[in-house]
Amino acid sequence: MQGRISAGEFVFEPPASQPGPSVLYPEHEKLTSKSHIAAFAGYLMPLWYSSIAEEHRAVRERAGLFDCTHMGVLEVSGPHAVEFLNLVTTNEVPSLKVGRARYGYILDAAGNVLDDIIIYRRAEANFMVVVNAANEPKIKFYLHELREGRVVVDPEDSAWAAKICALQVAIRDLRDPNRPQDRRADIALQGPAALETLAKLASELAVVERMASLKGFAFVEERLAGIDCLICRTGYTGSIAGFELFADPKLMPRLWNLILDAGRPLGVVPCGLGARDSLRIEAGLPLYGHELDGKFDISPVEAGYGWAVKLEKEFFVGKAPLQHVAGTYDMEVARIELPATRGVRPIRPDDPILDQRGWCAGWVLSAAKVDEKQYALAYVERAAAAEGTKVGAYYLARSQSQVEQGRAQTAEKGQKLPADLAGTVVSRFARF
Amino acid sequence: MAVSQGLLYTRDHEWAKVEGDTATVGITDYAQEQLGELVFVELPKVGKDFGVHKELAVVESSKAASDVYCPVAGKVAAVNAELEAKPELINEDCYGRGWICKLKVTDQKSLQNLMDAAKYEEYLKTL
Repeated sequence: MQGRISAGEFVFEPPASQPGPSVLYPEHEKLTSKSHIAAFAGYLMPLWYSSIAEEHRAVRERAGLFDCTHMGVLEVSGPHAVEFLNLVTTNEVPSLKVGRARYGYILDAAGNVLDDIIIYRRAEANFMVVVNAANEPKIKFYLHELREGRVVVDPEDSAWAAKICALQVAIRDLRDPNRPQDRRADIALQGPAALETLAKLASELAVVERMASLKGFAFVEERLAGIDCLICRTGYTGSIAGFELFADPKLMPRLWNLILDAGRPLGVVPCGLGARDSLRIEAGLPLYGHELDGKFDISPVEAGYGWAVKLEKEFFVGKAPLQHVAGTYDMEVARIELPATRGVRPIRPDDPILDQRGWCAGWVLSAAKVDEKQYALAYVERAAAAEGTKVGAYYLARSQSQVEQGRAQTAEKGQKLPADLAGTVVSRFARF
Repeated sequence: MAVSQGLLYTRDHEWAKVEGDTATVGITDYAQEQLGELVFVELPKVGKDFGVHKELAVVESSKAASDVYCPVAGKVAAVNAELEAKPELINEDCYGRGWICKLKVTDQKSLQNLMDAAKYEEYLKTL
């Protein structure tokens, strides 16, 4: 692994490696054909089992089970764990109660988003930090370098670097198979039938009641079918009733099958990366590299998550540049609804979004078809991002013959184009 | 993965059914499996000439847009307009009702590089 720091920018070159199977790979092989399994973030993961549309519908109407064992699960502990996390992440950590989780970001000193994360407080001085699979090696390395004082944390004032590296904190990988105990990997059960499914695996009513009473971003540590589980009301589908379960990766195949068996009469199905993407797009949730960072260097503020960046904190890595963005930004992420009736072509990333004058106001970042509608998350001028705004979409050329017919291959901001589809900006987020 | 006897195949997973100087063209079962549910098909214009491996059509699933390359040199004689409203016909019946277009073959030699069903099946095993 290699990291390099220039002008506060943290650049990480991940080690080249072949994608490996997730711990649930043998189960995926039983449930879908090999042609529906693909490399994603270093793991061989299922794209879909039945179909994206069917799995999407199952999560909205019943429930779906997702392999999230590729996600990074780190532990940050020690006497100064609170101070450390409060300095290296954007959200407020000291006020987080035990049994609660909070969304936030890890930035570099230049304000670039290195990852979006969820911090779970398991004890006063013990936190579980869940990071994106694709960013896990980078974040592990970055946190380690921060602790060792080898990262520029503030070009203006190096005193913060010294403070961070004086803190007593241990960073461990909870998925590490060599850990003697308390190994954790993630699966998610999302949708209205989630609780009823998990209830079947609980040995006593009190456990069910504790799961049922969980508010969003709250968690309990319980045993389900004899397996230690950290059970949290979090997820990536917009499901209010969904759970994530963190358990020993070695026991994951058993837990996976127990949940599928318990949920079968309720219509619970396994879901792949395809539905995971269409669900999160419909809900308005960002994907790192698309609605965060990525080619437009989208900041949390532009992504609609200003609340998760606490500029009133005295310091966190990347605060000064984020403060500047918060005062000056003119583009933001909008969720746009467009028709997708039969024969309507899907919009794609990079397709321009047009304002009412037909001028390019921004571009699609992600898009998904959901029944007769398609949803786009787009990076657009703030004037075009307000809920209820009528916008247009233009299909960029996708083939040589379209280029020959005069279809544009790229679009600049302000360029006038004829709208192929009419859409509306809808609420930034949706919950189901 | 179904491979239909009597058709000719490309390495890009198009098929051609040659009858006299007409070739009916579509994508294979392997291709439709890989793409998933198709939601849009852009058909070629009738009367247009295509060389071998030119972009003939575009098929789009909810996850990807993919080019369909012309397996033979020919002029488009007919297109399957039913696909405009029902792109899923390609998923349901890729060698039958999911055909994309018919070409009048302008260069018979262009057929020589295509694989027969047995060779295509062998090729699929290498993927």
